[in-house]
Amino acid sequence: MVLYIPSDTLLHRLHPSTKIVGLALLLILTVAFQSPWYQLAILSGVLFLAWASGAFRNLRRILPLMITVLVFSVVSWSLFRRVGEPFWAFGPFTLSVESIRFGFAMGLRLEAMLVSGMIFVSCTKVEEFAYGLRSIGLPFAVSFALSLAFRLVPLFFTRIGTVVQAQQARGLDLKSGNVLQRARKYVPLLVPIFVYAIRDTDLLSMALESRGFGMRGKRTEFLSFPFLWRDYAILGTLLILNLAGWLIQVP
Amino acid sequence: MNQPILSLSDLAFTYRGASKPALDQISYVHRRGEFSVIVGETGAGKSTLCRCLNGLIPSFIKGRLDGSLQVAGGPESGHPQVYELARIVGLVFQDFEAQLFSTNVELETAFVLENFAVNRDRMRTRVEQALRRVGLAGFEQRDPSSLSGGEKQRLAIASVLAGSPALVVMDEPTTDLDPVGKRDIFRLAQVLRNEIEGIILVEHETEHVLSADRILLMHEGRVVLEGPPGEILADPRRVERHGVRPLQTTVLLSMLGLETDALTIPDAVSRINTAGWRVKDDAQESLNRARQRVTGEPVVQIENLVFKYGESPPAVDGVSLEIRAGEFVALVGQNGCGKTTLAKHLNGLHGPTAGEVVVLGKSTTDWTLPELGRRVGYVFQNPDHQIFANTVRDEVAFGARNYGFSEETVRVKVDTALAETGLSGRDLEDPFNLTRGERQQLAVASVLVTDPEILVLDEPTTGLDYHGQDAILNLIRRLNESGRTVVIITHSMWVVAEYADRCVIMSGGRVVQDGDVRSCFRNPELLESLYLEAPEAVRLGYEFGLVARSAREIADCLERPDG
Repeated sequence: MVLYIPSDTLLHRLHPSTKIVGLALLLILTVAFQSPWYQLAILSGVLFLAWASGAFRNLRRILPLMITVLVFSVVSWSLFRRVGEPFWAFGPFTLSVESIRFGFAMGLRLEAMLVSGMIFVSCTKVEEFAYGLRSIGLPFAVSFALSLAFRLVPLFFTRIGTVVQAQQARGLDLKSGNVLQRARKYVPLLVPIFVYAIRDTDLLSMALESRGFGMRGKRTEFLSFPFLWRDYAILGTLLILNLAGWLIQVP
Repeated sequence: MNQPILSLSDLAFTYRGASKPALDQISYVHRRGEFSVIVGETGAGKSTLCRCLNGLIPSFIKGRLDGSLQVAGGPESGHPQVYELARIVGLVFQDFEAQLFSTNVELETAFVLENFAVNRDRMRTRVEQALRRVGLAGFEQRDPSSLSGGEKQRLAIASVLAGSPALVVMDEPTTDLDPVGKRDIFRLAQVLRNEIEGIILVEHETEHVLSADRILLMHEGRVVLEGPPGEILADPRRVERHGVRPLQTTVLLSMLGLETDALTIPDAVSRINTAGWRVKDDAQESLNRARQRVTGEPVVQIENLVFKYGESPPAVDGVSLEIRAGEFVALVGQNGCGKTTLAKHLNGLHGPTAGEVVVLGKSTTDWTLPELGRRVGYVFQNPDHQIFANTVRDEVAFGARNYGFSEETVRVKVDTALAETGLSGRDLEDPFNLTRGERQQLAVASVLVTDPEILVLDEPTTGLDYHGQDAILNLIRRLNESGRTVVIITHSMWVVAEYADRCVIMSGGRVVQDGDVRSCFRNPELLESLYLEAPEAVRLGYEFGLVARSAREIADCLERPDG
């Protein structure tokens, strides 16, 4: 994927389906708790994994987003959620110890989810992702289409960049005018972009067909990933954590 | 006689909704071990034919297909499906960007084998073998997007070869490549002809395919001529009439009134010498005097320009360059050497990371993008990146309207631009119904409408047949002669030789050679070291001890003392 960081850490070496199922289990685990302390523990855990897998480089790229998410959820949940005894009130806003606790729990939960997702994209190649999806039972065509989408997004953005530049070179000024005027200025961009998207897709489908895509019957895989003890260990640990978490369910 | 591996009889195809057939009465037999080349103008049906050969027509592209297509080892009757033919006929497309989709070279090559359900061990061997054949061994783990243009196209070829097709069909594989990338593909085709059972190549540059067994000349959906290169290419006028640039050897021979069937440079030279032609005494001096243009004040001054995309190494790395009013400059160099990045500084699409670019007396950082765009017209490589309007007139008017001229002024400006580009009277046509060559002219018209002093054109001839190239080049020359400064980016060295006055060669983000065009061609070894190659006419001149820019110039330097 675009944010993939080539490396050879334990997380990189995991079986693709372990990565996918593991991510799902992590996300479910964060939903189990509503206590900020447990969320903090989970967040520390995934931050450790991020460090161990070298995904910190990508976290730095989304740092502004992470801070915004944290601040926004702490502030808004604390002010709007009505639980416990409010010690402060102003119009629709109230503050209580419970609502602040809840705000922190929500904020930290979203952070843990973001970090987990980031670890996943940092150590999973598009092909591994597709392979993983197939090995947990998705049909080839679906997994291929998904992985292709990941692949084509950056290409599509390059095309858009070229079209924008080509029209700017003819004096198109996207910055001035009111909302309606500006909306109309996108017409000269949309037509060439669509023409391109259609042409590219058409060419790619022909290239795929010409290389035997769409043949009936079995196909084989070039890549192969052994499912090892570490995969069992990681999935097992996550399962136990989830079981324990959902049994305790500390409010 | 070798066995036929492909036979077509009376093949005809009409696209759904079209009134005229795209292919008509095509009969052709390809035998084991043969190398055939298809040439012809835009719209002659070359790509349509290629797409019939591997079954994309009619199973993917719909329409009416008549006649028969038999492939050795393929189904006995009916029109076979793509997946039935893909094992036997491999098709490589022109656009290498659009046909690659994997994250590394090895997986790209393996895709076809996965589809054919080859087992994993055999798959490894065949991937290795295919990559070795195209010279990409050691590139297995590279991301295809990090490869050069030539490498990408060779990867596209490997990804087809891995499937072990009997016949490989390549549809203009070299169009978007720099001279060395092109040469590598032709060399590869030479190697492959001995290793696989058959090759069919669609190609414009006939000079590189003289060793083919056969040339098919197509026109309006038919194969009008078929035979060995010596027969088909020996008549420069006929070749040119069909939208193919003739061999310059045959052009020179015909100018001298000699028989034109000596195609290679050594053969042509010996024929000319035998006929008694000699180089005139002061030939080179008079060539050097010719075409020296008077230029004006500097309009572009670039000082130590550095430009980086994000954190990557500089795309332009310390360029200083001055361009004067009225110059015709060609910017050349291999794919990815920084030509386009440099050119985009001239109209402010890029701003310098370090250094300064002064255009028309003012630093580009002091110009607003729209104002600079009005004075520096930039024509992008592909006209389809900008065409959006319903009529030719609206398309051209777009630029003028952006600057808030009155409708009356816009009308006058559009009329002038259409007249200058030869599109007068086509005002109300739909731009998408024009030919690719006409769309390129339309793109030029749509920047001319603001009457810019400087024109920058990125690869103006790519994807056009010879008629289209000729039309656009003559248009650019007229615009230059009417006083505009012209900068073109190009891979076509013959365009540089025949049209430009000054040649700036870039390599690795730097300018490595800058001078008048003739001086650039004085040093063939230097060109070679920069992955460029002197064009055919120039190399023909070398044989007479001349540095000439065209066949015409050589002819002017020769005389026959005895009459």
